[in-house]
Amino acid sequence: MLIFKLMSLLKGYVVIRLKSANYEKILNLLQRKGIRMWDIEKNEQGIKLKMSYEDYVKYEEIIKETKLETVNKKGFAFKLGKLKVRKGFVAGLFILLVSLYVLSSLVWNVQVIGTNNATAVNIVKILKENNITMPVSHSSLKPKKIETMLYNNFDKFKFVEVYIEGSKLIIFVKEKEPEKAEIKSNEPSSIISNKNAIINKVIAKSGQPVVKEGDVVYEGQTLVMGMVKSKTSEEFMMVPSEGTIYGKTYYNFEMKENKLQDFEIATNKSKNVYFLQISGNSIKIVGDKDPFKNYNYREITVKIPIISKLTDIALIKGTYYEQIIKTVEIDVNTAKNKMQVNLYDDLVKRCSDDAKVLNSSLNFSEDDNYYYLRAQIEVIEDIGEKVRLTMPEVNKDETKTE
Amino acid sequence: MGKFNNIRSKLADDLEIPNNAMTDNFDLRMHGNKKVIIENHLGISNYENDEVGIKTVENNILIKGSKFKIEEINSYKVIIKGNIDEILFLKKE
Repeated sequence: MLIFKLMSLLKGYVVIRLKSANYEKILNLLQRKGIRMWDIEKNEQGIKLKMSYEDYVKYEEIIKETKLETVNKKGFAFKLGKLKVRKGFVAGLFILLVSLYVLSSLVWNVQVIGTNNATAVNIVKILKENNITMPVSHSSLKPKKIETMLYNNFDKFKFVEVYIEGSKLIIFVKEKEPEKAEIKSNEPSSIISNKNAIINKVIAKSGQPVVKEGDVVYEGQTLVMGMVKSKTSEEFMMVPSEGTIYGKTYYNFEMKENKLQDFEIATNKSKNVYFLQISGNSIKIVGDKDPFKNYNYREITVKIPIISKLTDIALIKGTYYEQIIKTVEIDVNTAKNKMQVNLYDDLVKRCSDDAKVLNSSLNFSEDDNYYYLRAQIEVIEDIGEKVRLTMPEVNKDETKTE
Repeated sequence: MGKFNNIRSKLADDLEIPNNAMTDNFDLRMHGNKKVIIENHLGISNYENDEVGIKTVENNILIKGSKFKIEEINSYKVIIKGNIDEILFLKKE
C-alpha cells in the first residue's frame, strides 16, 4: 500500500467530496467502471475519497454527472505543471544542473605529494609541455601515461602514482634515496684511532704516520696524517692515507652467576588442541588452551585434501607439552664455563674482526649466593679508522685585506 | 451468476483447486479485528462510521464496529479498516 501511495503521489491524485445522500450507489458505479478509489472516509460533510488523476481525466464526464466536488489535486505531476509558468526558475535550475555536471567532470588543479616545491614545479612544467593544462576533463587524463612520462623525465623517482580524486589530479612521488658517501681511494684522508690503546705496530702505505710503537693514543687521535710535505717545494699536499695500525687494548669484565637456578624440565604429559583455520582466523574445535601452568607449545598445520586447495581452510594441531620448574644448585665448573662463554661472546662484539687475544687474567670467587668472575683481557687489534680530509674554508674578508 | 455455485464449489474441493477460481463465492480475510479484506464482492450496500454492508453473490456481509474507513475499493476487492466488533452473513432475500 505504501508503494502504491508513493506511486500515486508521483503520478498525481485527486481528492473528491461526495455530498449526495445515496453515496453507496455512486461508489458502486465508479468501482464498476474500473476506477480505483482509496482512503474513503465519512464525515459530517459527506464522503471524501481519493482517485488517480489518470482515472479522473478518463471518467471526467461521469464524475460531472454524479456531481462530485473536487477538493484538491495533489502529487508531483501537478507541481511540475506549476513549473510551466515559472520559466525563469526552470531555466535557472537547468543551468545549475548542467554547470554542476560540467564543473564536477573537470580536473581543476594538480597536487604533488612526496617531493619538494622545485620538483613539483618541474612536474607541472612537464605536464604543460605535454599539453596537460588545467582545467582538463577526467576522460582525457590517462594516469598510466602520465606515470610513464614522469618516469622518463625524472631519473630520481623511485615510485610514481597518478590518480584523480574529485577535481584534483594527485601525483604521488617517492624519490630515490641519495647513495651513501663512501671515501674513494683517491680522496685525501687521515687515519684516526677508534679506541684508547698502546701502539703495537704501524704499517703506513701512504700518508704521514704521526705515532710510533709504544705511544699511548686516545680515541679520536690522528694516527696517520693525510698532509704530506712536497719533496720539490715547501708546500703541503693532501693525500689519501692507507695503512694498518695495530694497538694493544685492554678490556675489563665483571660477571656474576646465581648459585640456585630454575630449570624447566619436561614431563611426559601432553595435550592436543585442534583449530580450524579459515582465511587466517583460527576457530578452536576440540581441546583446551593453556592446559598446564608451564608448557612448551608446538603447532602443525594439516592441509585438508581438495578443500585446502580450493579454499583457504586448514586444520591446525597444537600440542602442549607440560614442563615443571625445578630449582637446582649449579656447581663451580658449570658456572665458570657459562661465565667464560658469556665473556668471550661479549668480547667478540666489542673487538674488531682481526683481533688477537694476547693475554688474559681470569679471577673466580664466590659467596653464599653467587659465583663471580673478574677478568682483564689484553688484545691486539686494528684501531685505525679512515676519515675524509676537507680543505679549511678561507675567510674571504681576510684575503681581501691581504 | 450464482448458478450451480454449490456444484462448482464441490468440484473445486474434489479437484483440490482454489475454490474462488471456480465459484462465485467471496473470499474474506481478517487481520486481527482491525482490517478485513473481501474479494469477489458486488459493491457496497451501506457505509456508515459504525457499519459497513458489502454485497456478494449469495450473501450480504454486514460488518459492525466503529471508526470504519474504506482503505481501498475496486471492482475486485474492498479493504475496510476500523475496530471490528462483529461480522454478520445475511442471506439475500
